Amino acid sequence: MKAFVFRNDKCDVCRECEVACSAACSKSNNESARFAPFIKVYQSPEGPFLRLCKHCEDTPCVDACIGESLRRGPDGIILQDEKRCIGCFMCNMVCPHGAIKTVMSLEKAFKCTLVCGSEDDPPCVTSCTRGALFFDDFVNTVKKRRNKKIKGLIKK
Amino acid sequence: MKKATKRTKMKKSARRHVIIGNCIAAVAAADKLRELNPQDHIVILGDEAVPSYSRCLITYYLGGMVTRRHLLSHSEKWYQDRNIDLKLSTRAVGVDTGKHVVHAEKNGKKQKVPYDKLLVATGSSPIFLKSFPRDERGIIGMRNYEDSCQLKKWARKGKKAVVIGAGFVGLKTAYGLVKRGVQVKVVELLPTVLGRMTDMEASQRVRERMVRHELLDIELLNSVVATERVGNKYHVFYKDGTQEECDFIVASVGVKANTEFLEGTEVKIDRIVEVDDTQQTAAPDVYAAGDVCRSRHIVTRQWIYNAIWPVAVAQGRIAACNMSGEKLRYAGNIPMNSVDFYEMWITAIGDVQQQGTDIEDVTYSSHGIYQNVKLKDGIPISFMAVGNVDGAGIVRAAIVGRTPWNEFIKRPNTQIIPVVNRLSGLLSHAI
Repeated sequence: MKAFVFRNDKCDVCRECEVACSAACSKSNNESARFAPFIKVYQSPEGPFLRLCKHCEDTPCVDACIGESLRRGPDGIILQDEKRCIGCFMCNMVCPHGAIKTVMSLEKAFKCTLVCGSEDDPPCVTSCTRGALFFDDFVNTVKKRRNKKIKGLIKK
Repeated sequence: MKKATKRTKMKKSARRHVIIGNCIAAVAAADKLRELNPQDHIVILGDEAVPSYSRCLITYYLGGMVTRRHLLSHSEKWYQDRNIDLKLSTRAVGVDTGKHVVHAEKNGKKQKVPYDKLLVATGSSPIFLKSFPRDERGIIGMRNYEDSCQLKKWARKGKKAVVIGAGFVGLKTAYGLVKRGVQVKVVELLPTVLGRMTDMEASQRVRERMVRHELLDIELLNSVVATERVGNKYHVFYKDGTQEECDFIVASVGVKANTEFLEGTEVKIDRIVEVDDTQQTAAPDVYAAGDVCRSRHIVTRQWIYNAIWPVAVAQGRIAACNMSGEKLRYAGNIPMNSVDFYEMWITAIGDVQQQGTDIEDVTYSSHGIYQNVKLKDGIPISFMAVGNVDGAGIVRAAIVGRTPWNEFIKRPNTQIIPVVNRLSGLLSHAI
């Protein structure tokens, strides 16, 4: 199952990903696309951090959605039926990443549903020149990173 | 050896799962059961005439904020796709746990439904008191689709309604009725609205925001002592001596679990069904999930009655896993809820009303935002937000994970919450 992985040690808060997300989403006709970017990088004394739907494997937001607006798509992406959202913000209450965008004026909650339309390499990932953001199988990413570390140790 | 495995396999394929109730706990359980056992027989007994719908949305349906198609989310095709035998308008009247049979009734006709594993997910129904007994002509509770349809018929412009109890359902019903142009008066016995969800300050803010609407009035610290039907109208007598005339009354003073049909069985009931961590009741092969049974408080590990949607979904799934032979335990959840009235959001997580000398308050209060975190020994136990609810899930994760507050406020991803970083509160005003 694919998920977003963020490495805050590599990010230098250039915000290229935010720009790319907005640009790509603006081509979509979805209502939620107006509220892009869904990716947001914050600067803090302890390094940057990211607010973005990670498309987790365990989905508290889908379980908590009383309007049955959120659902898991066939390829693991958490999709949203925007017409069904009634703005109770139960999803916001259970999301540990704070990834839900709460739009008070529309009484709706929006999140990254990959409306940019590229499920293989989303624009936010391709625009990242520092290699801080991945969209990959989480287990694979961890394995790759571990192998790299081991190789580095062997070279030493 | 081979023969033995074959026999168990055959036995497994012939299993018959019966689910009583047809709301979210039952639907989640049926979905999971079908995923785990593609060959088993699954029967759902629903006492209503419509297939499963989102029970939380009936007040929104009343207010015209969602359509009928949206409300009835699970069509009969949903059941057919999963090969689930759906029996509508069928009410369970008794269970024989020895013979493994459910006695059901459909339009007065009795029928027997045998089961191998039984899931009780009958939910709860509203309480009526002697001073306002259930009356088909004008006193109603708000719990299912039929209730909302009935209220929709009564709720016309210029009518007047009294809602007894300013709890969650009460306020949402009042909100829906006002949207239909009905003049509503809400009466509450407690000094706060929304029951256990708010403290005095938050309650005051919610009340002020709501009564700004000319059709809505909320009266606290008052109750109904008697009602009387006079002609087409009701006379309502209050505790403080005043009386009033109205067209219909909605009772929302509380709920009771629907356990009548389980009386006389081995299932232990103390107002609600007692289950263990695997959702099993005291009777063998009988499980329970949803509003009908208890659940654990994930932090204190005590048994509580936590009738919220996410708990029902999780309990249904866990019961389904245990019914098909997998051992799974439910860790529980914390009491929480979230709602909006007139673009004012309220989110409450944890034991908001807990008081004592060892409890410390951290509060952020400004014109449009009120947030409060209660700390016990430096660990957050509750969070309440009115106005700005951004990042509530991050605080919930800290409450469940018992993260010390001093550590929590240093984390970068908490800086968007006004109660942690006052600056973000000011910023959200600016935006």
